Amino acid sequence: MSGLARAFISTSLLAASSALAGDIAPDPGRVATVRLEAGIARTPAVYLLLDPPRRVLEIKARGAVLDSIPLLGIEVVTQQPLLGARATRPATVPAVWTVVDEPSDEHRELIAPVELRPIPKEEEEDAADDVASPAVPAQATPTPTPAPEPAATYRAHLDAGWDLLVCERLPPRGFAGRFVAAVRDGWVRLRGEGEDYPPAVALAMAAEDARRLHHLLRSGTSILVAAGAP
Amino acid sequence: MNAEPSRGELFSTLAAPPPRRRSLAVSLLAFGLIGLGLGAALLVARAGRPYRAAPFVTETALTPDEQDPIRVAKRAAQAAGALERMRPRGAYLVIDSYRNRLRLYENGELKHEAVCSTGTGTILRDPRNGREWIFDTPIGERVIERKVKNPVWAKPDWAFIEEGYLPPTNPEERFDPFSLGDYALYLGNGYIIHGTLFQTLLGRRVTHGCIRLGDEDLELIYRNVRIGSRVYLY
Repeated sequence: MSGLARAFISTSLLAASSALAGDIAPDPGRVATVRLEAGIARTPAVYLLLDPPRRVLEIKARGAVLDSIPLLGIEVVTQQPLLGARATRPATVPAVWTVVDEPSDEHRELIAPVELRPIPKEEEEDAADDVASPAVPAQATPTPTPAPEPAATYRAHLDAGWDLLVCERLPPRGFAGRFVAAVRDGWVRLRGEGEDYPPAVALAMAAEDARRLHHLLRSGTSILVAAGAP
Repeated sequence: MNAEPSRGELFSTLAAPPPRRRSLAVSLLAFGLIGLGLGAALLVARAGRPYRAAPFVTETALTPDEQDPIRVAKRAAQAAGALERMRPRGAYLVIDSYRNRLRLYENGELKHEAVCSTGTGTILRDPRNGREWIFDTPIGERVIERKVKNPVWAKPDWAFIEEGYLPPTNPEERFDPFSLGDYALYLGNGYIIHGTLFQTLLGRRVTHGCIRLGDEDLELIYRNVRIGSRVYLY
């Protein structure tokens, strides 16, 4: 995507502009979305625009699109017994969801020196260098520790009562796939390790996109869910 | 000449069931085992609560006033105008801290893209008091607060602790005139866009939260953004 398009083309804005120009009848849902966005964009924070009809998640600030993530799918997932179906409630849109519990950052590496020592005096340092490795240049390029990667599947808890589940693949819909998943989950529960989660809006996306979204889902991040046709 | 079967051969011939009976027994055993496995799987599956996916259904909650066609057009114009006013103008920077890319825009037009280095995301803990630093590049909007040529870095405590040293009590020991390169653009809270001695590490997440650039890119950015220019980090 060209940088120009990424930075400036906001579909919601375009829709509103088209409406302004009288090209098309303005969609009330879209207009309500743009009005909500105008409120969020007053703050300096980066926010996300989830556009279900376009299957895209945009990273935005001040109304400008900084980047966009194509979605492979968007569904509501709930944990249910293999036999039995419970209806899920529809999401009211447009809406602003706020991340209240950010995804785990257990992937972070911890540097914890056991004790600190005084900085060696220049003479001591020189003497030590002479003995140990006289040929080592003063500014050798350090070997970087590979930055730990966050997981590609994770959850963030939202104030709307939903969770946001970011994943590479949506749960299977067919009976065979669900049966296998039920056996797997049942086995985990029989070992006393099963967990229950609230219903979640699942966004399926490429693993790389999931990882780069991870650090944007911090507590307080706003997610604007768009309404209406683009 | 007919060879007489040995006693052993005779016994095995008498003890083994005919081939058809043997295959029936094997089949029964296999079915039994499969049935047993399926039964066990069913029992285990009953304890499970797997994910069930359903379409993401939305309902639009709008008041009658919000659906009035005349007012909708007016509101659309107002909202679009409000967003338009907030958009960045002039020269501004967009920094993707996951992909380590810095982009320079001028009135919405991409002028330059550079490889940079951003925060590792690691945590440093001070063994004396448990104080922690998280080496993340911040996200959100910031502005260029200061631009400095030939900057001198006043090394903060973490720069010493990370190396296993006690932070010096003498401030003179904190000054480092080399590490920041030729230019520095200060974003506030200690975050800086600056140069690097380690150009081969550009494109990686290796910093303590600052944004490092190569010499040429840094000079171009330094010359093209003003104090007050906006920087968007995500």
